Amino acid sequence: MIRLQRVTKRFGSASEALSNVSLRVDPGAMAFITGPSGAGKSTLLRLIAGLERPTRGRIRVNGHDLDRLSNRAIPGFRRSIGLVFQDHRLLFDRPVFDNVALPLEILAYRRPEMRKRVRAALDKVGLLHKEGVNPRTLSAGEQQRVGIARAIVHRPVLLLADEPTGNLDPALSREILQLFDDFNRVGMTALIASHDLGLVERMGKPVLHLEDGRIEARAAAGAPA
Amino acid sequence: MKPGRRLQDTVPAWLEAHRDAARRSLQRRLQAPVLSLISIAVLGFILALPAYLWVLLDNARALSAHVDHDPRIALYLDGVEAATVADLERHLETDARVERWIWIDADEALARYREGLADPGLLDWLDENPLPDVVDVIPATADPETVAALREALAATVPGATVVSDDDWVRQLNSLHQLGLRILSVVGALLGLGALLILALATASELRERREEIAISRISGATHRFLRRPSLYGGVMTGLGGGIFAGILLLIGIGLSRAPLEQAAAAFDLEFGLSLPGATHLLALLLAGLLLGWLGARLGSGHALRDAP
Repeated sequence: MIRLQRVTKRFGSASEALSNVSLRVDPGAMAFITGPSGAGKSTLLRLIAGLERPTRGRIRVNGHDLDRLSNRAIPGFRRSIGLVFQDHRLLFDRPVFDNVALPLEILAYRRPEMRKRVRAALDKVGLLHKEGVNPRTLSAGEQQRVGIARAIVHRPVLLLADEPTGNLDPALSREILQLFDDFNRVGMTALIASHDLGLVERMGKPVLHLEDGRIEARAAAGAPA
Repeated sequence: MKPGRRLQDTVPAWLEAHRDAARRSLQRRLQAPVLSLISIAVLGFILALPAYLWVLLDNARALSAHVDHDPRIALYLDGVEAATVADLERHLETDARVERWIWIDADEALARYREGLADPGLLDWLDENPLPDVVDVIPATADPETVAALREALAATVPGATVVSDDDWVRQLNSLHQLGLRILSVVGALLGLGALLILALATASELRERREEIAISRISGATHRFLRRPSLYGGVMTGLGGGIFAGILLLIGIGLSRAPLEQAAAAFDLEFGLSLPGATHLLALLLAGLLLGWLGARLGSGHALRDAP
């Protein structure tokens, strides 16, 4: 599903955000990326989502060579991915339902099918009863779950999450990671960045550790290519 | 084809997407009514000015039909034989370009001249009447080319006569009208360009307000076309509103300037009525607004989305 070969990313003339990173995540797998802030976790996820282009190296995601993907082909590629952010990035000018429906609107789904899928996604994260409220009125944990519902509503083949538990207490964090595990069980490949090593290790999934833009070999490492 | 999608859903889904974009754009405008109305007003003013000038010009051209100074062709029949005069009369009767004609007898002309003099006795010094018979021809149209052609035809019928036409003023009026149209098109083009830039700026700033939504939509795979769709609908709405407002302004403007213009015309002994623009012209104004709105939104969104992350 994801394959990085000797990928380097440099922003301007600054030092390398990622140096020579190679990794592989198989279809249907679930893996974690850990590391301190500034280690390059977000950059790695942004490269995989096609939000950044690598300075050097090859990235292949879901059959697309991202370093060769034309600008016109990028929207199509992004529709096969779900992204979860630490800060949720919800739109406060519309209710929860419309936030979750956004990817389906982009995919031009018809109303009845859209309603069905949005409600299914909200049900999955336990917020079906909140579909009409403004996300501003929700708690941090609920907002994060709305963000997750939005990321999975169009049933992407790949789910990428950048510190999805960053602002949550341990109990809520476990709940969120359990949700990802559930999605993974129904076939969604998932790659989750988190600095919370203890939490990650309890999930019993492959872990890649990033330090200063480099993959560090660890006991529970995933599958470096 | 996306999973769970059927072919027969594609067109209705596309229509629904457009309806949603239009609805969202309308909602955005209703949420900030003052700003939306300012945009509409600016466009309305910009459209109304050249439209008003055009109506004045158009009416000024119609003025030539009302002026008591139709182009005339005078034939001075000095020493022309009676047979030729008969030919001329036949020609004048049959030529459709002739509205009417007046025969001014030389003696009659002299008598009239005598009446105008302070001392009629002066003319008794003359041995004979120096005035020729004159035929005053009033053409059916003021069109300079037709008048010129008629003049040549008449000159050919009466080879000995001196033919004088006073259609110069028609040519002058016509060239003034042409000049007016040229100035109007330059003013219109400049104002249109200004309106386009204002609308483009308004669209760009609206997209800046939507930047979080745009960023999230981009990440979810939205295309440029999808992202600019609400802006284009917004542009069309502003354009239509501007067109309607311009139409109202135009009607008010004409209503207000009618009486003073007619008074001024009367002072010059002119019969002049300012006529209201017809439905076609108001529709053209609406279409101009619509086109400017759409183009401005297209320009602004193209620029803003290219620069967006």
